[in-house]
Amino acid sequence: MEEKRPLCVNAIVNLTERTVELTETPEEIIRQFVGGRGLNMYYLYKYLKPQADPLSPDNVLILGTGILTGTLSPNSGRHNVTCKSPESGIIGDANIGGFLGPEMRFAGFDRLIILGKADKPVYLYLENGKIEIRDASDYWGLLCSETEAKFKYDLGSDIEVQSIGPAGENLVRFACTRYGVKNAAGRTGTGAVWGSKNLKAVVARGTCGLPIENPQAMIEKYIELRDYLKESKVINVLGRVGTPLLYDVSNYLGAIRTHNSQQTVFFDTLNAEEVHKHVDKMLGCYGCVVHCRHRNTLGGEGPEYTTEVLLGANIGVADTGKMIDLNNIVNDLGLDVSSTGTYIAWAIELFEKGYLTEETSGRILRFGDYNMSRQLIYDIAYRRGLGDTLAEGSRLVEKFGPETADFLIAIKGLPQSDPHDVRYLKGFALGIATSSRGADHLRSRPTLEILDLPPSFTTQIYGEAVDPNPTSYQSKSRVVYFSETIYAVVDCMGICKFICHGFNSPRNLNYDHFRELTRLATGLEFSKEDLHSIGRRVIDQERLINYQEKGITRKDDTLPARYFNDPMPSARAKGSYISHEGFNKMLDEYYELCGWDKDGKLLPGRIDELNRLRDIKEHKREG
Amino acid sequence: MVLKQKQIYCHPDLCIGCRICANACALAREGEANPRLGRINIRQNLFERYEYQELCRHCDDPPCLDACMVGCIEKDAYTGIVTNDDSCVGCWMCVMVCPYGSMRRDLIKQMAVKCDQCKDREGPVCVDVCPTGALVFKEREDTPEDPFFTGPAVT
Repeated sequence: MEEKRPLCVNAIVNLTERTVELTETPEEIIRQFVGGRGLNMYYLYKYLKPQADPLSPDNVLILGTGILTGTLSPNSGRHNVTCKSPESGIIGDANIGGFLGPEMRFAGFDRLIILGKADKPVYLYLENGKIEIRDASDYWGLLCSETEAKFKYDLGSDIEVQSIGPAGENLVRFACTRYGVKNAAGRTGTGAVWGSKNLKAVVARGTCGLPIENPQAMIEKYIELRDYLKESKVINVLGRVGTPLLYDVSNYLGAIRTHNSQQTVFFDTLNAEEVHKHVDKMLGCYGCVVHCRHRNTLGGEGPEYTTEVLLGANIGVADTGKMIDLNNIVNDLGLDVSSTGTYIAWAIELFEKGYLTEETSGRILRFGDYNMSRQLIYDIAYRRGLGDTLAEGSRLVEKFGPETADFLIAIKGLPQSDPHDVRYLKGFALGIATSSRGADHLRSRPTLEILDLPPSFTTQIYGEAVDPNPTSYQSKSRVVYFSETIYAVVDCMGICKFICHGFNSPRNLNYDHFRELTRLATGLEFSKEDLHSIGRRVIDQERLINYQEKGITRKDDTLPARYFNDPMPSARAKGSYISHEGFNKMLDEYYELCGWDKDGKLLPGRIDELNRLRDIKEHKREG
Repeated sequence: MVLKQKQIYCHPDLCIGCRICANACALAREGEANPRLGRINIRQNLFERYEYQELCRHCDDPPCLDACMVGCIEKDAYTGIVTNDDSCVGCWMCVMVCPYGSMRRDLIKQMAVKCDQCKDREGPVCVDVCPTGALVFKEREDTPEDPFFTGPAVT
């Protein structure tokens, strides 16, 4: 009789000593952190030496699947890549779709914890409960697409690969890791950490399978939820045109980040219907009911709304085809789209303001110059000339002078990913200011703010009436608090945010659905309150790591100076800016909801609780 | 009398490559999430840009049946469904001869697994779970209503 597979099997891979050790996460810890982002944060806290250099062997790299990843839950193809970020110096965490997460679980592993540094390029091969550290010198230097194609040629087509491109190998501080053509664990420079560990790829072939507590009920549940989700209007539109649908809305509002947020309106050429002329087919990740990923006619996948704006409007490229071309190049080189677009736009403004000159940068930088941007993207990935400088990312503020930080659209050292200029929607502003990994919309964006929902409806969602006026500072902290908690839970589950309650529709999957899915898949019972407190615990854990690593407190929960000082120039949002007074009030309320002190620090009781959990011993497992 | 045969058809244009069909099939048949044991499989290559659905056609003259050396594959004369049983010895001849790549290998049990159109269930599970309607289960259009020859030909 085979023993039952434990809920969470971790492989601790030490690349320096080339050893692999297996552990089981105790159920007590799973009940507190669930999986995915939650357990990744737990293990980051457990294994990271305080103040470690992110690009040294001391950094810890974690690939962790959610508790529902690979089960028959809708959109359950996601896992999190976590480390200390080389870009911002605080937590680095990125969520990625595709098929590697499920395949890792089918291969017998729920989490990889990678320590140390290999002496030469290696890749990890996962199959049937075994991990091999294999030589990757044949793959080093290849583009992401070439790497994956070569792996499939060499090892068979039924494997799944997540790899880094030249950007990660050259330690560009905002390099990403990639699955397939476009799926990326994009933010916070996780790719550079892979590069620093000489880890080219993780390859999985899943033959073990994953036990499911109640198979028949799970199939019925999937069908029920799929039908429920497919009634949603926004899911239907996302499935037809993808995220570019938001471009038109934001542009009408006058809130598209254009020319490094100096302007806020851009051309109609990037509207969803224009982009769609370049689309062959829409694709989905594992178990997807949304299918928002475009296969474009120019040989790649995408673009997303983020790419459209950050490699289009933000650097002034209006031609749809050219923007998609930049998207494809960035993807293949393994760069983070949001950071790349923001830094290029920042460099152009630095040039306009005289911090960069033709001699120092080797070229003339100006908005709307497609050829220059294309060349600069290659230079960044291969670290040549000005590209070598820009590859250092937000750390350049020290080089160019502290005043240049005023027009870098970044918070806590991480450029803003949301293409939406947040000066108009105050809830969005609080969201990116307090997000645990820097200026990022996927942590807490209260998208429903844009819909002007009536108070009776917001009471149902948030448990309290919320001011329907998106420009008001009233009660927005409640919206952000609610959103960040449920998004933390959905990341722990390994489910896509597009089907998460509150992300883009008030009627998607909520805590009750997550409870039921976890029960059917694993047999674990959680109450709604449990899930809420798990979300809070994960956020507090992140806050604690940030405080420990870089002293993140209230002073860091702020916005780029431009958002406070310059009113928006055009369209409906004209004249909007963030007032210090209103912002501080929102922040006070938010800290109170979170149960933090006035300075945004955790209370001692919570720190003791997290330390106690950290010190719990794990069972070793025979490998 | 031959029943009008039903078959699982696929619209490749609608397939988004989510592979939920393979996983649901494995879950329904083997009780575990393991797309490799799905009787259907989506072979996807994101770089060569295709999704190919490896599903059993329940051929009129099945090559797998001819190739099977232990005779564990049979075609039901009434429903037209091609099935195998557990006397399979895992020689993989059927896997080799199937022109559609729809015979799958269970490497742990050393047995071939194949689609039986979920004959004990109300309709195939892969069709039920497909989120885009790419898979459909309907009557074959190419089987004649009345067999042309009703008995031994007499001249």
